[in-house]
Amino acid sequence: MKKVLVACGNGIATSTIAAVKIREACEEKKIPVAITQCKILEVPSKAEDYDLIVTTGKFQDPSIKIPIFSAISLLTGIGAKESIEKITDFLSK
Amino acid sequence: MNQVLQATYVAFRALMGAGAVVILPIIITIVGLIVRLKFSKALKAGLTVGIGFAGINLVINLLSTNLGPAAKAMVQNFGIKLDILDVGWGAIAAVTWSSPIIPILIGVIFLTNILLLVLKASDTLDVDIWNYHHMAIVGVMVYFVTNNLIYASLAALFMAIITFKLSDWSAPLVEKYFGLPSISLPTMSALSSLLIAVPMNWLLDKIPGVNKINFSIKDAQKKFGIFGEPIMLGFILGAVIGLLARYPVDKVLSLAVYMAAVLVLIPKMTALFVEGLMPISEAATKFTQERFKGRKFLIGLDAAVIVGDQSVITTALIVTPITILMAAVLPGNRVLPFADLAVITFRVAMIVALCNGNLFKSIIMGIFTTGAILLAGTATSPVLTALAKSTGLNLANGSQISCFAATSLSVSYLVYEVFVSNVMITLPILIVVLAACWYYFGHVRKLKGIMEEAS
Repeated sequence: MKKVLVACGNGIATSTIAAVKIREACEEKKIPVAITQCKILEVPSKAEDYDLIVTTGKFQDPSIKIPIFSAISLLTGIGAKESIEKITDFLSK
Repeated sequence: MNQVLQATYVAFRALMGAGAVVILPIIITIVGLIVRLKFSKALKAGLTVGIGFAGINLVINLLSTNLGPAAKAMVQNFGIKLDILDVGWGAIAAVTWSSPIIPILIGVIFLTNILLLVLKASDTLDVDIWNYHHMAIVGVMVYFVTNNLIYASLAALFMAIITFKLSDWSAPLVEKYFGLPSISLPTMSALSSLLIAVPMNWLLDKIPGVNKINFSIKDAQKKFGIFGEPIMLGFILGAVIGLLARYPVDKVLSLAVYMAAVLVLIPKMTALFVEGLMPISEAATKFTQERFKGRKFLIGLDAAVIVGDQSVITTALIVTPITILMAAVLPGNRVLPFADLAVITFRVAMIVALCNGNLFKSIIMGIFTTGAILLAGTATSPVLTALAKSTGLNLANGSQISCFAATSLSVSYLVYEVFVSNVMITLPILIVVLAACWYYFGHVRKLKGIMEEAS
């Protein structure tokens, strides 16, 4: 089972929206996944325990070696489908 | 109009006795049905929000039971008069969404957004229903003080206009500095800082010498990262407060663990709120996007999308400990910063963009912004505390509460003051100031221009 860390500014609002959408898409495609939410500030200290990081805003940290996916489209709705597909494709591998 | 509003209110009043855990699911279910959710889905949304409130209530009780007495002991021991607990924006948002007049205020804000779009007076299409609470709380507090539904609705209306205009004006900043085109950020907790930062930025640029200062801090995350992690921040603050309260070692440690627990648990409970409101927010998004198809607009998002920026994080990590120290020495302040230290990033994000990432100016303006928040928080704490209690928030030991959102925000504080003072005098002043700003930023110069000048 892949582990996903969904991060946003406060670990509450937009990360919940992204997390729920990813969880629903994974349930639909029967992909087992464990999703955790946190604040962006916590990402550097938590990253190594996860397979994928999804952030709702722009975030870069060269010290993090695992893939970081920016999913602002899940909030605006524009390009949301493509983003969800990219994420589920990655998680089903 | 007033009679319709009054009748709606009477209906909700009948359910008031049951408390927020019952009213909330009912209100959210009804709102869900209005936006055409299936009954089962609407009910589930309502119950999820109700559970969120129950959870927040437990955590706030844990906070006030443990931190309240320690804060009082600290006052007695050292005269550090910080006896108003910062319970965080999440708890206050829960109080806001539990108000019996919330459906009316949400309607007012939603219609204001639609009307401004139709009149082409704003480009912001706010799909971020959750953050309506920043605008609604001012109406809720005005209603609590004045018992006047018209004033409350007007307060929410003005909060909405100011929020949407500020996000219009700051959209070029967001595009240029954060590289996010066609969005704006109608989140008052971030926008409010501009009220202090825009004139201050102008002033700092006029002072010879000062306008040349800039520095950078390498590895800020490594050096100050601890202030960004709720577990460590809560533990350390709890331990320090326990020591200042002259607790024995075992009580110092238990206070430290409890405070870490509060900072970790509040976001988890608040997330239930967001999850419950999501189907409603989605429905509203669909509705508005279909109505305004083909029109170029700015999609209004939660400011959470910009706080991952490295300069924002660095500024917040430095402003956080300074704010804690400042709270102890700032004359007139009684707020003990705690839960909302976790969201300083939001308070400084716009400031960082405004001065194009200049760390020196960001920190200076950030400190003034949090200072203003502490003072407004102290001033409005009695009303906020009484309101929270009336909603059913369980505060132990007669604790007084505040936060870094609601009427602690400079803009919200001023709008609140307008409607609880002599409205016949203050409201015209608000309208004139707003019109002047509208003219200045809408026509004379855009914020983008100000930023280019600084860079």
